[in-house]
Amino acid sequence: MKQIVVHQEKCTACRECELACSFSHEGVFNPALSRIRVNDFYEEQFYLPLTCVHCADMPCGTVCPTVAIRRDPDGTVRVLEERCIGCKMCLLACPFGVMGFAPERGVAQNCDLCGGDPECVKFCVPGALEFAEVETDAKAKQKFFASVVHRALAGT
Amino acid sequence: MDARYVLVGNSAASLAAVDWIRKYDREGRILLVNREPGPAYSRVALPYYVAGEMTLEDLWIRTPRDYEEKGVELLDAAPVVAVDPEARKISLADGRSVGYEKLLLATGSECVAPPVSGLSEVPVHYLWTLEDARGLKAAAEKARTGLVIGGGFIGMLAAEALRKLRIRLTIVEMAPQLLPQLLDEEGGKRFGEAVRDEGVTLELGTTVRTLARKPSGEIEAELGNGRKVVVDLVVVAAGVRPNLSCVTPEVCEIGRGILVDEFLRTSRPGIFAAGDVAEVVDFLGGGQRVLHAIWPSAVEQGRIAGANMTGRQIAYDGSLGMNVVELFHVTLAQIGRFREGPGDDVKLLGGGRGDAYRKIVVDRDGVVVGAMYLGDAHGVAEMGVVHSWIRRRARWKDFERHHQPRFTYALTVRDVPEVRT
Ligand SMILES: Cc1cc2nc3c(=O)[nH]c(=O)nc-3n(C[C@H](O)[C@H](O)[C@H](O)COP(=O)(O)OP(=O)(O)OC[C@H]3O[C@@H](n4cnc5c(N)ncnc54)[C@H](O)[C@@H]3O)c2cc1C
Ligand code: SF4
Ligand code: SF4
Repeated sequence: MKQIVVHQEKCTACRECELACSFSHEGVFNPALSRIRVNDFYEEQFYLPLTCVHCADMPCGTVCPTVAIRRDPDGTVRVLEERCIGCKMCLLACPFGVMGFAPERGVAQNCDLCGGDPECVKFCVPGALEFAEVETDAKAKQKFFASVVHRALAGT
Repeated sequence: MDARYVLVGNSAASLAAVDWIRKYDREGRILLVNREPGPAYSRVALPYYVAGEMTLEDLWIRTPRDYEEKGVELLDAAPVVAVDPEARKISLADGRSVGYEKLLLATGSECVAPPVSGLSEVPVHYLWTLEDARGLKAAAEKARTGLVIGGGFIGMLAAEALRKLRIRLTIVEMAPQLLPQLLDEEGGKRFGEAVRDEGVTLELGTTVRTLARKPSGEIEAELGNGRKVVVDLVVVAAGVRPNLSCVTPEVCEIGRGILVDEFLRTSRPGIFAAGDVAEVVDFLGGGQRVLHAIWPSAVEQGRIAGANMTGRQIAYDGSLGMNVVELFHVTLAQIGRFREGPGDDVKLLGGGRGDAYRKIVVDRDGVVVGAMYLGDAHGVAEMGVVHSWIRRRARWKDFERHHQPRFTYALTVRDVPEVRT
């Protein structure tokens, strides 16, 4: 499936992606509401944008006690807000820490890939984000994703 | 009616077992036997139903079509009263019996009735089944004041639902703090303050001694500390225990729950157990067996039991206790051994969002074994990362230089993680 690929070395932590995401989903510029988050380690000058990788094994969906997390035919892992009770078990289950929570609506929220044309990618001027085809096999996908970070951290 | 796979229960563990039986065996007949009527509903969502935030329809987590598509026959409103392991049959309350090749006992938990004099003479409510929730909801709609006996997980969920209905509450908890299974002393103190700030009366370190009905219809409770409380509604949430309604020690070995090995097999060939009813291997080791009444563990165990019922040999790496809940505007979460034991090291971390309380417990070998979080709803996502560390038996020293300002997956990927499938 096509998803958001991170080129970590190009990220400058400008956080345009966070603002673009928040604005397109919530109508306000509030990084706290963004579904993509730039993790910053200023001392190491290491910045890593992270968002849902739509895992094949979907740990978030496995634990959801109301079956509120489903996979769309195109592979997108989606929270059905009308079924979500806000119990946050999915937040505790996501190994990437990228399942978010919308306190006003009281529901979990993850990246929905903007229906196939992600806003964050469009606003990432340095080109750290790309919307591209990646292998659907869970292991391959996570390995790829991890290797980006691995390379960057190896020297620290 | 006989079936290759007979599953007792129609909730987290059983439904997960169905999924994984079907992963490996598309043909074998599956019969789900459940004492409750109707398709499966989400127990976890019951408090939201009581509070009027969800309708009855919202509670269903399976439709009749879902069972059909999986090739599962559901026998509902059919309590199982006995298991005959020699004849490989179960008996139902209405006298029928059903033969099985493989049997899964996934009967979950039941509520404990505390030793309170007068308990059976006054109307009280529990909160475990849909029927309980319906009764509580109906009563709550007429009540103005309420008493919750037990400040544990279910008690607090009930309290939260009643508070949303603007019922004035008193909570009585035997331990000196709320949520003793979920929060350490410091966490309990902070949380107790938040609950009091909401106008709830807390009676900690004491019990309800007697309950009596007054001529006005109200219920009077006398507490161990001598105080008296008069309320319209009483909820009993004094804990749960494994529901052993259809097994005896003659069927299979029973400890506090049904004892199972790492393949979720009971001591009796052909009989498996999973979920709240099963006393399972502890992820944190020590060869101990644990009882965790939590949804994620029920799902994990149901899957593995289901797979092994088809002849696989998948070992369970053990149940890891965890919980997360938002109560009275505070989000709290706990994973594994969050209360330090002898030899453990505690890392109290600042720098989270707001004034969150974040604690990591590291054992004497440097392995991360537990964590606790108290803070806003957003910040709890980082506990997902810590959860993956604990599951991978990761070492604290690999993360400590990086733990500020928050935990992120970026710290975890120094070695490529194993994907659990
Ligand atoms: C209000 C509430 C809130 C909760 N919130 C959370 C939460 O936030 N997080 C969390 O992790 N856990 C939570 N839990 C706990 C969670 O619901 C349980 O751990 C989980 O449901 C266990 O699943 P199970 O399949 O083992 O058993 P259960 O869900 O208890 O199901 C047992 C099944 O067996 C059937 N059964 C029992 N005896 C018989 C018999 N003799 N014959 C036939 N059928 C029988 C029952 O009808 C039922 O279908 C909550 C529970 C409640 C009540
Ligand atoms: S929210 Fe987390 S666990 Fe769920 S699909 Fe996305 S990355 Fe995977
Ligand atoms: S917060 Fe919502 S989506 Fe997440 S596990 Fe709970 S009900 Fe499911």
